[in-house]
Amino acid sequence: MAKLLSWSLALLLGLAGLSARAETMELTLPNHGVLQADFRPGTPGKPVVLLVHGFLQTHAYPTLHRLADSLAGEGYTVLAPTLSLGIPRRAQSLACEAIHTHALGDGVAELRAWVAWLKARRFANIVLAGHSMGNLYTLSYMTQRPDAAISRLIGISIVEGSLKIGEAARPALLRRLRAQAAGPDRRLVKEQFSFCKEYRAPAADLLSYAEWGPDRILAAIDQVKVPVSMIMGSQDDRLGKDWLARLKRSHARVRIIEGANHFMDGPHEFDLMDLVLAELKDAGR
Amino acid sequence: MKPLSIRHLALLHLLLTSLILLAMGLYFWQEIRQTRLRFQSYEDQTARQELAEGVQIVMGRMRAMGDSLAQWDETRQQLSFREYYTLWRDERVHNSGLLATKTAAVALYDESGRILPGSNGPRPMPTSVPGKPPTSLLIRDAGHENLYYYTPVYADSAATLLLGYLGLRLDFRNELEQARAYRYADLDSLRIDLPVGKSLDTGRILAHLRIRAQDNPQLQEFQRLLESSTIRLALALLISTLIAAVLLERMLVRPLRHLSGEIDALREKTHSRIAPQGLEALPLPVQELENVWRSFNDYQSRLAELHLDLQRSSQDFFDQARRDALTGAYNRRAFDEHWREAARDRRLDNVALLLFDCDHFKAINDTYGHNVGDAVIQAIARCLQQALRVDDRLYRIGGDEFATVLIDTDVRHSQTVAERCLEHILSHDFRQNGLSEPVTISIGVAIAQDIPETRERISLSELQKRADLAMYTAKRPGGQKIVFYTPALGNVESLVASRPINAVFRAIQDPDLLEMTYQPVVRLHDLQKEYSEALVRIRFEGQLIQPREIFPIIQDRNLDAEFDLAILRAIHRDMDDGTLAPAQGVSINLSAAGVINARVMDALVALLEAERNRKIVVEITETTLITQMELATVNIRRLRQAGALVALDDFGSGYSSLRYLASMPVDLVKFDISMVRLLESDDARQRHMIEEIAHMVLSAGYELVAEGIETEALLDRVMRLGFSHAQGYYFGRPVEDEAAQA
Repeated sequence: MAKLLSWSLALLLGLAGLSARAETMELTLPNHGVLQADFRPGTPGKPVVLLVHGFLQTHAYPTLHRLADSLAGEGYTVLAPTLSLGIPRRAQSLACEAIHTHALGDGVAELRAWVAWLKARRFANIVLAGHSMGNLYTLSYMTQRPDAAISRLIGISIVEGSLKIGEAARPALLRRLRAQAAGPDRRLVKEQFSFCKEYRAPAADLLSYAEWGPDRILAAIDQVKVPVSMIMGSQDDRLGKDWLARLKRSHARVRIIEGANHFMDGPHEFDLMDLVLAELKDAGR
Repeated sequence: MKPLSIRHLALLHLLLTSLILLAMGLYFWQEIRQTRLRFQSYEDQTARQELAEGVQIVMGRMRAMGDSLAQWDETRQQLSFREYYTLWRDERVHNSGLLATKTAAVALYDESGRILPGSNGPRPMPTSVPGKPPTSLLIRDAGHENLYYYTPVYADSAATLLLGYLGLRLDFRNELEQARAYRYADLDSLRIDLPVGKSLDTGRILAHLRIRAQDNPQLQEFQRLLESSTIRLALALLISTLIAAVLLERMLVRPLRHLSGEIDALREKTHSRIAPQGLEALPLPVQELENVWRSFNDYQSRLAELHLDLQRSSQDFFDQARRDALTGAYNRRAFDEHWREAARDRRLDNVALLLFDCDHFKAINDTYGHNVGDAVIQAIARCLQQALRVDDRLYRIGGDEFATVLIDTDVRHSQTVAERCLEHILSHDFRQNGLSEPVTISIGVAIAQDIPETRERISLSELQKRADLAMYTAKRPGGQKIVFYTPALGNVESLVASRPINAVFRAIQDPDLLEMTYQPVVRLHDLQKEYSEALVRIRFEGQLIQPREIFPIIQDRNLDAEFDLAILRAIHRDMDDGTLAPAQGVSINLSAAGVINARVMDALVALLEAERNRKIVVEITETTLITQMELATVNIRRLRQAGALVALDDFGSGYSSLRYLASMPVDLVKFDISMVRLLESDDARQRHMIEEIAHMVLSAGYELVAEGIETEALLDRVMRLGFSHAQGYYFGRPVEDEAAQA
């Protein structure tokens, strides 16, 4: 019996050591695209957190990186992939000025691949957590096909894919883009999108993000069958008008961190961590 | 080698100085050029170093850019999804910020190294990757030198999954300009030794680059400043040299030439005094030259003084050569010269020649010694000089013989002068010279005017002979002391070159001419003849020359020793031929000179040794001992050792004191006939003194011989006084044949 306890303690200590050590995992898609993710194995039995970075970022984005570290420190297994955005083994943030040939669906597919990767490793309690426009991938994923392994959806600073053209002109632009995307025209369009003043991409690819306006997001939230929690900063300047109010009116549980901006940096990292842990405890029950 | 003049030396100095200045100028000029070349070389090296650093920076930047692009996600994106490759290549890459230059060109190549499809665009790149990347090349394209960098692009960070290659092209010159600031390198001068279209590995690029330094305006300005300074310095030195040359000419050359001229003039005019000229004309007197001038003047003054001294000395020498050192009178040389001058000037008319001769000077000299004799001569000279007119010159033409020449004179005047001279001599007190008796002179006078038949022209020798004849005449005993020549005096030769003189000389050569007479000397205690005194005469040309004529000639001509030898040979002859009986003693008179003459001594000693059985008495006078006492004493002792008796002859007739008598190594003392005759004097005091002297001599141990015994009364007196011997006519006259008489 004593010997068994000793082995158990050693195993626990070894797992604890593993949880703090990040590993780069690669995953090859059927289209030969090679994906990379930062994997921090945690304590068995605890939910696995799959962290999805924001628009054009990587898993090394500071807010998510520190959050992943913190969660790993709490014994949670954390998988933080870098969406390829059409670039094999992408390791750098993609510039707004780059030629964007990626669509939201591509990222959702990669997310699905990673969920499958987790499932293959017998992780049955997966919590999807996204930051900023990364929530569009998780919402899209959850609304496309229900997955029993996903136990919770946590959104951090969720924001719409917004074309910065003005409310009045946006419908016309959307119509033009939709018209272009409907055909074989692969010419690049250059629009002010999200935080990019010039975003150049094929119209279909651009529309894959731009179609996710507030209404579609709220609809998707309401459509998701697992608990959805939205953690927002009270000082987030990227949010649309009345967005928090509308969000609070959704199915999601909205938690506001007072004083935090879009990136939840500084002391608000700890607030964010506390809220995420709280959500995970709920997910673990 | 002919010495150069100061002007030539100055010109040579100027030329050399100019050459040195020129050489120095060229040297400095060359140094400036060398310095500039060294600076240029340093700048070229620095420029090349800058170029090397620039190339290194360019290469580093190129590799950095290429590597950044190769590791860029979007590069991998283009190699994976090439739909928008040309847009990415032509725009996106240049807007990405990864290319630091706008002139760069980028191309992607697939895994096989072929360029990705698509139009080559505005910046065409090679269609394939050269070599095995990573590689960097310099290729000279048309008008440009481009750097190409090819590097592989991997899908993974481990560089195991090759996606393709990235090619980067940079404009080499543009990149060099951008790389750094160049202070020395002139990129416009950059030349690349690379043919068009050829490639060069960038590792060897430096070896193909040629560049020169930028023009350094500061260095050029510095060089220009140095060159202009050198030219100004050369001009300043040239002007200084010219000024120095002018000053040298004015202050040194000209004064030295003037000084040289003065010295030349001085050399030509040895007696002239050259005043310093030209020195005052100098605008800036030179101290050293002034010193030279001053020294020259001093030297000149001293030279003149020295010349004057030399003239005086020469005159002194001239005078001394013509002056008698003892008396200060002119000597024989001056006498002869003046005579010749007078003859040349034909001034022999109304000329009187006066010859003065001291009577018995030889006796004075022999008796009192040379010092007294010299004093007597000096006194005579002073007296004569005082007696003569100021312009009359007094000559000492012999030992005791003086002369003077009276110009424009006549008999009466000459007589007056001669009498005045005689009076001065007679009135002079010669006792202050140690003499106890008066000194007299004989004066012979010859006047040219007085000879009517030769008035036209009388020769010097003739006038001298006449004066000699007159003087010899005056010297005759009992005559006038002043004798004027008259034809009645006879022939000069007959008097001067007389028979006795010839006889004396002939007798010395031939002693057979001597006729010896022997006067007996009687031993008084038995009145027997003990020996005979040899007396000499000369038979010459049928006449018999008496001693009174013979001995003055011998004394005047210093023939004493020779005559003594002749007498000794004559006595020896008489001994050999029996004129003197073998046992007959003989007394021989020896002169003072003979006593100290080695030849005479040797001959006499030989005679003594040959005639040991014969009594031989050698008679000497006290003068002998006075003259050379030591040698005479030695010789007399030698004679006594050889067996001779020595007699002091003529005692009391001379001037010697009794002091000598005590030290005389003699056996006999012969009282002079004048002393003996005083025994017959009426003056009792004189008789008493002679008697006392005789007693004194006898008590000293000498034998006494009385001369001149002619009467029996006188014989009695001397016998009573203790005389041991006597001689005189009372006992017999001298006889020629002693043997016959005996």
